[in-house]
Amino acid sequence: MNEMYLGQFAFAFYTLIVLAGGALAVSSSSLVRAMLGLVVSLFGVAGLYLLLLAEFVALMQILVYVGAVTVLIFFAIMLTRASSDGGESEEGGLAATLRGILVFLVPAGILVPFLAVYGVTGFPTPKNVSPDQLGAGLLGPYTLAFELISVVLLAAMAGAVLLAFEKRGAK
Amino acid sequence: MNPIIFYQVVAVLLLCLGLYALVVRRTLVGMLIGVELMLNGAGLSIVAAAQLTPMDAVLGQLGALLVMGLAAAEATLILSIVLVVSKRFGDVASDTPSELKG
Repeated sequence: MNEMYLGQFAFAFYTLIVLAGGALAVSSSSLVRAMLGLVVSLFGVAGLYLLLLAEFVALMQILVYVGAVTVLIFFAIMLTRASSDGGESEEGGLAATLRGILVFLVPAGILVPFLAVYGVTGFPTPKNVSPDQLGAGLLGPYTLAFELISVVLLAAMAGAVLLAFEKRGAK
Repeated sequence: MNPIIFYQVVAVLLLCLGLYALVVRRTLVGMLIGVELMLNGAGLSIVAAAQLTPMDAVLGQLGALLVMGLAAAEATLILSIVLVVSKRFGDVASDTPSELKG
């Protein structure tokens, strides 16, 4: 019984981290702080993955998102000199905030009651899948997806280089 | 209540936070942060569904990993697009690049 309460406590704790980080990420007027909020939120999601017994996904979350994607975002902030206050300081005013709140509330107001009414009944505890089963899956039934994602990453990399490349002597 | 509902509610809230950021933010980088939040919600939803229902758990976890790969690719491309926009227009507000050249 105690362990069950511990799980609920951990879930509430990670959810709090996710939502607090997300709130900082969408509301901070400084883009660097918004990115920090995103990092906090990503760590919280990694904690939820751990709670779901998906420890490999949790580690990849920290490695790929916290390690790589936020660095990319930081580069985007830095290279565009999006003025360290982020150019977010002048707000779009009350109308933009109202639109934002509407966009926040409408999907939440539709999806959450649907979940509460029609949600599936799941297991009380998650399944356990070891990383070697994941590897066998990648090299077995899901090889095509594995190869395709590498093609997508290569295309994205080549496209990024092509877009950002500056010819010598141009301009 | 079953645990899966709570995980899905957190995922929905992440989606809505991302939508809020997309609408409210003025700069492309701020919008990118919102998109990353939404993709995280998607991953969380997939993994929760895979781990807590009779669905194949390997498929769910690999799906979440693929979402992460796509998010990385998308962030790379957006970084270079943001660079191009800032070089050409000198600003990364989302309403700056509004000229069409025919």
